[in-house]
Amino acid sequence: MDFAAIHDHLKAIGAPGLLGADEPRPADKKAKDPGRSGDPYLLIDCARIVDFLLVCRDDPKLSFEILADITASDPAADDEHFWVLLNLLSIEHKHRLALKGLLPKANPVLPSATKVYRAAQWNERECAEMYGITFEGHPDPRNILLPDDWVGYPLRKDYEFPKEYHGISCE
Amino acid sequence: MTIEETGQKGSIQLGTESRILPSGEREFMLDVATSDIELNMGPQHPATHGVMRLLIRTDGELVTGVQPHLGFLHRCAEKIGENVEWLQYLPYTDRYDYLAAMNNNLGYSLAVEKLMTGLEIPQRATHLRTICAELNRIASHLIAFGTYGLDIGAFTPFFYAFREREWIQALFEKICGARLTYSYIRIGGVFNDSPPGWLQEVERFCDVFEAKWQEYYDLLILNHIFVKRTANVGVIPPAMARDFALTGPMLRASGIDFDLRRDMPYMDYGEIYEAGAFQIPLGSGEKGTVGDCWDRIYVRMKEMIESLGIVRWCLGSIEDGPVIGDIPKVLRVPNGECYVGIENPRGELGHYLHSDGGKIAIRCRVRGPSFVNLAVLEDIMPGTLLGDSIAIVGSIDIVIGETDR
Repeated sequence: MDFAAIHDHLKAIGAPGLLGADEPRPADKKAKDPGRSGDPYLLIDCARIVDFLLVCRDDPKLSFEILADITASDPAADDEHFWVLLNLLSIEHKHRLALKGLLPKANPVLPSATKVYRAAQWNERECAEMYGITFEGHPDPRNILLPDDWVGYPLRKDYEFPKEYHGISCE
Repeated sequence: MTIEETGQKGSIQLGTESRILPSGEREFMLDVATSDIELNMGPQHPATHGVMRLLIRTDGELVTGVQPHLGFLHRCAEKIGENVEWLQYLPYTDRYDYLAAMNNNLGYSLAVEKLMTGLEIPQRATHLRTICAELNRIASHLIAFGTYGLDIGAFTPFFYAFREREWIQALFEKICGARLTYSYIRIGGVFNDSPPGWLQEVERFCDVFEAKWQEYYDLLILNHIFVKRTANVGVIPPAMARDFALTGPMLRASGIDFDLRRDMPYMDYGEIYEAGAFQIPLGSGEKGTVGDCWDRIYVRMKEMIESLGIVRWCLGSIEDGPVIGDIPKVLRVPNGECYVGIENPRGELGHYLHSDGGKIAIRCRVRGPSFVNLAVLEDIMPGTLLGDSIAIVGSIDIVIGETDR
């Protein structure tokens, strides 16, 4: 199914937390709109993410058995939201779905998707340590790539590189 | 004697049982308090395929728990992606899965090209990209084959694997100047046209390699000891493979028929599959159970032959022409975001790129298949013997450059 068909199907079955879509559009010089290329994204509510993913995984027309990627993005230092980005893949129907949720930087907490997909476990650990996002209900919230005593969240746009680490200069 | 008579204290106690041996000596049963050992298969180890620390808890020979510790080769590729220009990022892509660098370049280039709507990739460039990507798949699977034998204890196939790899690396050196980190497949096409005689040499390689492949298959994969060590070991059932988002040979070894080249084709792969140039090998539990270590190495071996089919098809239909589109030196990628996943030798390599129309990416996320595939270790290793755990780690075929990025 293509993106429009998947979106319509999700609306029809009343998937929880579906907020809308962010689709590519051509540039419009008159409206000073740079346009948007690339993939269409479904906008979802981060708080209802577990229920939404359960629908995506279990509905027979969608059957997204594989969570290809769960990651986050910090669009700008002055933007007040993180973006939580997921990518689902269906082996049976051979289609993909890209999801985007807006997470307020003031309170970056959302439920962990490990209840639905085991693949989320390591990817969420990486998100958490790089952005400081808390995944509630995560079974093993340790740092995965960074050392256990690392200070700061490196992939944030306002991250300041440390001057030294354990006496080793980082200049 | 009873415990009270001996007055024993401490962790080694005399049990209340004893018997007389035929020699006349008395044998006592000892209650020894044991505890699990925590073994450090440390960052420096010949069988961890790079710098990875596995904290293994064992009860004698039986592994009761494993905790992988990563990050020793973390080089902040994603942060660098937010600080350098689009064209400047290409050499960084070589270095995540450094054994399949062509495929990494391809994944990144396809992702950027998806954002640049209206960009035409010349046909010759697509064919050269496919030839190089598939030759690199063969080289990568050769390492998987050779080093897996080495981990198990078979030292000879490693040298055969690297001898064949030398030819592939010499081919790549002729076309782009590098043996390991090529930066050959660039945004808009490929960097350099093939020198005269290169395509004929690729054809010669295909013919010679096909004969050699059969020898290596019989030497290692059908070897009785190898089968004994890998069959029925580290079984990943299909439901677990889906739950852990395994991709690539690991998914196909568990019997799930899915390959991005055939099912969600990019470049010319759809056309190549329609022409019957390649098939998708699956694990079938031939020597043991579906999804065991033997199936995984079997799928990788068979994929090498299928890649030869793809290379031959491309050699048959390549035509003269330009090899790169018109890309400015300072590239501004239009506003947008996309995710492109390709079939890397180790699984699905995904690039998520977000551009705001500028020279530098806002977000460059790399979904490394080795990182995602490695997570399954925490579930399949406990309950196996220590010798089998080496076989399991090797069968996942990870490259730490990709696990850590």
